[in-house]
Amino acid sequence: MTRREEILNKTKEIIVESLPELEGQEFDESTVINTDTGIDSMGFTLIICRLEAAFDVRIPNRQWQKLSTLGDVVSAIEKRMPNK
Amino acid sequence: MRFADFSALLAHWADQSPDAPALMYDQNGTKKVCSFSELDRRVRFRADVLKSERKQTLGILCDGSFDCVVEIFASVLSGRRTVLLSENAPDAALAEMVREAELDALWGDSELRADLAPYLSGSAEGGENQILFFTSGTTNRAKAVVLTDASLTASAYNGAALLPLSPSDTLLCMLPLDHVFGFVCGLLWGLSCGACVALSRGARHYGDDCVYFRPTALSAVPALLGFLLKYRALNPELKTLLLGGSGCPEPILRAAKTTDARVCFGYGLTETSSGVALSLGEGDPYAMTVCPDDAITIAPDGEVLIEAPTCMMQGYWRHPEDTEAALRDGVLHTVDLGYLDENGKLHLSGRKKEILVLSDGTKLFLPEYEQALSAALGGEALCVLLIDDQPILVLEGEMRETAPIWEKIRPVLDERARNQQIRKIEFYEKPLPRTASGKIMRWAIQREREGL
Repeated sequence: MTRREEILNKTKEIIVESLPELEGQEFDESTVINTDTGIDSMGFTLIICRLEAAFDVRIPNRQWQKLSTLGDVVSAIEKRMPNK
Repeated sequence: MRFADFSALLAHWADQSPDAPALMYDQNGTKKVCSFSELDRRVRFRADVLKSERKQTLGILCDGSFDCVVEIFASVLSGRRTVLLSENAPDAALAEMVREAELDALWGDSELRADLAPYLSGSAEGGENQILFFTSGTTNRAKAVVLTDASLTASAYNGAALLPLSPSDTLLCMLPLDHVFGFVCGLLWGLSCGACVALSRGARHYGDDCVYFRPTALSAVPALLGFLLKYRALNPELKTLLLGGSGCPEPILRAAKTTDARVCFGYGLTETSSGVALSLGEGDPYAMTVCPDDAITIAPDGEVLIEAPTCMMQGYWRHPEDTEAALRDGVLHTVDLGYLDENGKLHLSGRKKEILVLSDGTKLFLPEYEQALSAALGGEALCVLLIDDQPILVLEGEMRETAPIWEKIRPVLDERARNQQIRKIEFYEKPLPRTASGKIMRWAIQREREGL
């Protein structure tokens, strides 16, 4: 499994943990967070905070606005993780 | 207590309760407290520095920090026109605000300041004691409302007269200071009562700030309160919850009432320096008592009209025609609809104009949004509704594949804040109902959609 896939899987896990009502929904990198998942802005804040803690990264608040798809979120995390 | 301005407020408490905590905040994981005397000293020292710089207008990129609070007060005391900006606004919107306000200096995040430096102009002349808050107002284009420290301080008095805090209270400030409700009800309300204001550690800590700071009072917009309730993030010491910024959905209000806190609901506008009416946690939460300095009447068409001599805006910055349209003979025409009950309490019933107010208090001006969406879809007939606090797009015609529609409207959505973006597409399989002049009757579709 590539690092990107690992991040995506962990991201999906955290989304469902944070918002159990999304259990059973299919997510992939092209999933648009607002429209495909119904996650609102407060839910999004919660998920980003949990992702930051899980991956030990910090995504600047101003970047949050620009994260449209799950792929964007994965890229933002990947970019800030230390190289293996 | 009523104060003439920020300087009088700070000086009073520095004199009366010099060692009492004015601000509580976090610094690298340690809780810090700043007393009223220390706050007063720091603000005046910083004001002297700002005076020596001989600039006219300071834009503050509000991050809610202790330094940010000191800078706001100091800027006003130094005589500069002070413009409060959201550091989280989309890039283009922020650049537009900096240009519109004719700033000659910025305070805040250094990277962001560097990005915005090309938009500084410094063409505006001094505007002593003026504080500008941006609001979407009646158009999508950001427009600044000119308030003063006197009007904001009067507004804090107005709220505190109905809902007083005591010096033993701690008010948690979680709302952005660039929003007038956050500034007045999250900060000034507490300070004007001599209470301690705890400054939130930011969005990352929304879930645990109440437990960290143990507030006895909290101001929140419905979206934030809904989040705090859902994750059981409120602390048991909380006695007063002040809700404002937008209409509160019934389920959130119901859930709030299951806590031990007194749940109050406020109504106000940026133009009136925040609240003009409040419900006080007894009886009908939507029946609001008018604040002592204000008078509310209802126009024949149901529009709420406000006279707020001590709290009223000076006008819209550089938009005298909009000021004249909204503020006539000292009376603000709010475009909100409502009525006064037999006890003189205000009830709101909707909006006269084409604006949606989301549960976090932000406004969505529909004509421009719908026009942009329609243009992206080659002129299709459509409208935007608010269902369960989520903007949805309703298209005229039979149901069809939505993926190509999402693809076409994506650039329009990406220009907007996340909470304003369309969440769902629906189809209206008949001609959209229209008025005689051809305008789409959004309200009729909304009622039909809600099964009314």
